[in-house]
Amino acid sequence: MHIIKLTDVSYSYKVPAEDDSYTWQVGVKNIDLEIEQGSFVALVGHNGCGKSTLAKLLNGLFVPHSGKVEVAGMFTDDNKSIFNIRSNVGMVFQNPDNQMVTSIVEEDIAFGPENLGVPQKEIVERVHWALAKVGMSEFARRTTTRLSGGQKQRIAIAGALAMHPQVLVLDESTAMLDPQGRKEVLEVVHSLNKEEKMTVILITHFMEEVLGADKVVVMNHGCKVTEGTPMEVFSRSRLLEEVGLKVPRTIELARRLKSAGWNVDENCTDATELGDRVCQLLHNN
Amino acid sequence: MFRDVTFGQYYPSDSFVHKMDARVKLLLNLVYLVGIFFVVSFVGFAWITLFLLVAILASRVPVRNVLKSVKGVLFLLFFTVILNIFFTKGDNLLVKWWIIEIYAEGLIFAGKMFLRLSYLVIGSSILTLTTTPVDLTHALESLLKPLTWIKVPVHDLALIMSLALSLIPSLINETDRIIRAQKARGADFDTGGLIKRAKAFVPILIPLLVSSFRRAEELAFAMNSRCYEGATHRTCMRVMKLSWRDFLGTSVVLVFFVAVFIVYGTQTTWGTAEQLGWLYF
Repeated sequence: MHIIKLTDVSYSYKVPAEDDSYTWQVGVKNIDLEIEQGSFVALVGHNGCGKSTLAKLLNGLFVPHSGKVEVAGMFTDDNKSIFNIRSNVGMVFQNPDNQMVTSIVEEDIAFGPENLGVPQKEIVERVHWALAKVGMSEFARRTTTRLSGGQKQRIAIAGALAMHPQVLVLDESTAMLDPQGRKEVLEVVHSLNKEEKMTVILITHFMEEVLGADKVVVMNHGCKVTEGTPMEVFSRSRLLEEVGLKVPRTIELARRLKSAGWNVDENCTDATELGDRVCQLLHNN
Repeated sequence: MFRDVTFGQYYPSDSFVHKMDARVKLLLNLVYLVGIFFVVSFVGFAWITLFLLVAILASRVPVRNVLKSVKGVLFLLFFTVILNIFFTKGDNLLVKWWIIEIYAEGLIFAGKMFLRLSYLVIGSSILTLTTTPVDLTHALESLLKPLTWIKVPVHDLALIMSLALSLIPSLINETDRIIRAQKARGADFDTGGLIKRAKAFVPILIPLLVSSFRRAEELAFAMNSRCYEGATHRTCMRVMKLSWRDFLGTSVVLVFFVAVFIVYGTQTTWGTAEQLGWLYF
């Protein structure tokens, strides 16, 4: 069953021209997309392809100029259900510093439920639950400034979780992090998807991050180029090249080895596994 | 360059004063600020000194940290003292040289002014040293809540304060980054006169301003995503509860300042300096 459904969605930005007139710049164009409840969807594309616009359309920050966005049976152009939609679609943005509302960790996480008018005792429960889910319980009373980038993003995720959403959208949330921080965030997101059956939409331009996804959606110039399982998408390597994306290096290497006659799994995603296999083959020879 | 800047001067501890309710501390600080203006004699200031020492002891903040706060207003203190020494006229002339006349009254007055001003700062710094800026914001919001009746957007103001506080560290980092980027391209901030240096900061301020606007926009998106719509239907996680500490602290401060008021408040209104005798000096 789908939780989010986009039907022929288009959105353009108003760009001021030199004289007082305006021109329209395409954000996204004619997007049709269905996201299954409990699935892990990766949205990829290079900069300016409309990924972030799409993200903002998902929780009604932007309302489509044409087409419909349906979230859990509600439409984002219906003003009455906008808060319901936003509490259902938790959003984590790119820059961890720009989404902190207060400087104390637990108070920042409480911001969402406070806005929803959740009773005080339940807010405390939700905050503790959310902190435990992102593995940061001991940081409750700390100030946010002293945390690392990865920790700040986990706090931002906890802030979204505290609203008890069904969907979590990460809008390039790993882009500004170091490898360790990226790993932390991805681990949290994957465990939320598996354990809490939360629908996750991960927007990224790191192809390595799409590997664990159920579905990959590739975008270019505001349009959906292709979608499918990661392996299906990786097999369309010419198409990926056209939109400026690259297949993850391990898979690329495995494929080249395979085509050179080596007996390796061409869909191998784990570099260590591939290395071991190659060593094993060399040893056997 | 900005590595050492820490905002606020909060000194973390678990002391009696730290654990007091921020609202109570804020109100008691007001009592103190008003109360200190009733004190007119050095004997009175001795009592205030004792009072401050007890407060500092109960807050377990090192005296050095408390005194540091006076450093910020040293310039002001210096000017006040100088002006009072030279421009107060009285009956007991001590020094007369060229056009400079120094009277005993001037010295006494300057001394009292010095004590009064520095005690004002020291007393308030005990509040800021023992209360986090966030707690202060909450306290202000809670205390000003009655003003919402006359349509003052108390909640919004408190949120603005809280946002500003949380943005300061990242703006400092941003400034640092811009300065480094410009230095790497040969900008010079350390030589030249005052005007030249001030001008060198313009190329820093503009990118900082631009990035602040961008930040603000992103933050607005983030807040909207978390269902912010102002104070309506909003609940609050933090509960502020009064404890025995607040009652004890309030009692001590009130008893002390009621005493101060009885000794000085009534007598300065009804009596003259001569009648007050040693109390006035």
